[in-house]
Amino acid sequence: MSYQSGNPLVDDVEFALDGPWAAYWIAFLRVATGWWFFHAGITKIIENGLSFTYGPAYMQGMTDTVLGGIPVWMGNNLAWLIEPGVPLFETLIGLALIAGAFTRLAAFGGVIFMVLFWVGNAGFGHGLVNSDFMGLMLFVTVIMLSAGRYYGLDALIEKLSFVQANPKLRYLLG
Amino acid sequence: MTDIIQKAAMALSAGLMLLGLVGMGIVEILVGAPYSPAPITNEAGDVVATPLISPQIRTGIVLAGIAVLGLYAAYAIVTPLADDEKAGHETVAD
Repeated sequence: MSYQSGNPLVDDVEFALDGPWAAYWIAFLRVATGWWFFHAGITKIIENGLSFTYGPAYMQGMTDTVLGGIPVWMGNNLAWLIEPGVPLFETLIGLALIAGAFTRLAAFGGVIFMVLFWVGNAGFGHGLVNSDFMGLMLFVTVIMLSAGRYYGLDALIEKLSFVQANPKLRYLLG
Repeated sequence: MTDIIQKAAMALSAGLMLLGLVGMGIVEILVGAPYSPAPITNEAGDVVATPLISPQIRTGIVLAGIAVLGLYAAYAIVTPLADDEKAGHETVAD
C-alpha cells in the first residue's frame, strides 16, 4: 500500500524524486535548456554585438495577441532595452542554467522569453502545444524542480550563511 | 555491480548527449559561422559555408546517448531485483 496518494505506483514502478536517475535527468534538462539559450544569445552577440534590431521589430509585429498592446508598445518604446537585452539576457540565462546558479531567477527570465515567442510566433498550425510551448514548459519545470540543486552551484550557494539567514532567497536560487 | 553499471550508464549517456549538444556546439561557435549545424546559403541558394561537424554526426552522438539509456532500461528489466529493492521507495506519511 502506497503512502503517496499522488502516485499509487510508487511502491512498484518508481521514479523517486530523491533517486539518482531523477537527479541525473533534472540536471541534464537544465544544462540542455541552458545551452539552447546560451547558443541563441552568444551567436547573436558574435554576429551583431548588442544591437539586435530584429527584437523591437518583432515585438512591433505582435499585434492581435492575448498580451494586447503591451508587446507593440515595448517594441516602439523600449528598443534601447530590447536590442542589447535579448542577446545579453539569453546568454546570461543560458550560462546561469548551465552552471546551476540563480537557476530559478534565470529560468523565470526564460519563461518571459518563451511566453513572448509562443504568443508572438503563433505557430499554431498543429495545435497550441508546439515547440515554443515545450520550451516554456521546460523553464517552468526547471523552476518547479529547483533544478539548480542537482549537480549545480545553487546546492552550494544555498548553504552560504547569507542565504541561510534569508531563506526566501531560495525562491531565486534552487 | 548494478550500482556500477548504473553509474556507467549515467556517465556514458550524459557524456554522449552533452558532447553532441554542448561540446561540439562550442567547437562550432569557436570555428566561426555557421554557428549552427546548417549550411549558410546566399540569395541564389548556393551554399557559401558549411558546418565543421555534420549534423548527422552530432545527432548520431546524441541519439547514441539516448540509446544507452534504453539499454540500461532493458538491463534493469531483465535483472532480478535485489532483496532490499523490493520494497520500493519509502515515503513518510504526512
